[in-house]
Amino acid sequence: MQIGPHLRALREDDAPQRAAQTALIAATREWRARPDIVQLHSELAAFSAARPIAECPMLATLFEDGNPAARSFVDDFVAIMTAVISSQPLGQIAMRHSTDGASSNLMLAQSGRVTLTLVALDGAGLNRRPAPTSVSFSPNDSWDHILAGGATASLLEARPAGAPQVDFHHRVTRLDPGMVIARESSRQALLVDRIEGRLVSLRLVRRHERSGPAREYDLASGTLIHQAAGDARESRLEFMVSLLGRMGRADAAPELAGIALEDWGEGLRWEALRQCLGLDTATGFAVLATVADRIGDPLAEPARNLRASLVSAYPQLQEL
Amino acid sequence: MNLPKIDVSALPDLDVLTGVFGSLKNASAVVTDDMLVVLMTYIYDVVDPTGLA
Repeated sequence: MQIGPHLRALREDDAPQRAAQTALIAATREWRARPDIVQLHSELAAFSAARPIAECPMLATLFEDGNPAARSFVDDFVAIMTAVISSQPLGQIAMRHSTDGASSNLMLAQSGRVTLTLVALDGAGLNRRPAPTSVSFSPNDSWDHILAGGATASLLEARPAGAPQVDFHHRVTRLDPGMVIARESSRQALLVDRIEGRLVSLRLVRRHERSGPAREYDLASGTLIHQAAGDARESRLEFMVSLLGRMGRADAAPELAGIALEDWGEGLRWEALRQCLGLDTATGFAVLATVADRIGDPLAEPARNLRASLVSAYPQLQEL
Repeated sequence: MNLPKIDVSALPDLDVLTGVFGSLKNASAVVTDDMLVVLMTYIYDVVDPTGLA
């Protein structure tokens, strides 16, 4: 690791680091306080509250095919930030960002279930990697406005072929500056194939209100290889539910019963149901029976099977 | 009525398991799909936000 005099100096005195950070935070705040950016944030909030993009004028303009506004918006932002970073080279940009050598992301704005991100895919980095063997679909609507660079890509559509199997429908497409690709990401994925230079895009993502799971499929066979909660809150709740069960918190049984009956993902609901049964047999069994008899509930069948096996193991449960 | 104490570990899982938010089988797929952006929103929530807006 190379430690130049700048970094060495920081070991003794972190004031330059804090000064750099203060400058970057101030620049970000200043950008966010601009009237056009304030409008952008209020539109993102409205968009998160389910307003259609057509009724959000600034967003509609930024994601209109061929509209130069997106490029100007990003150029302006980049000019401001690079000026600050040039004068404060050890500062960290005060926005969520990540890079892994091929894919870089910078979150420009966020509101509720909506994010606006700058994405850069490096051709040299990506073309070196082995081709992906799987593809994942997340419960979002996405819009990508290509700003720079170029690529060939596949727009992949997953069509049900007897769950958990899907058929993939490929459509090869160019990605060139000015193009806007709109996708329903729970069934459409954009697989970037070959990049010329660096592909830069502005990406708008809105998570579905009723977010089902994120699903990962094997590209060759269309087989489901993994499924994950589509909403972070569900995973958080699932951890809490499991913890309460482990702690033996019988007083939590009614709460868990509630979760099992609400419109959450199946994984969370089933875990709540299991833990509820473990904490309070009567409450748990009552919920199990309710779910088992609920027409159209995806958990009805496993609940019926579990009810039958519990009753055969403990006949006194039939009294409930 | 004497109700049995039910052992949670003996209760069955669903046929298809749902992993924790952001989990993937094949991480290299992350590069070109939406998972990274989705993850980034969440992970940074857990990090001390001083200095990160």
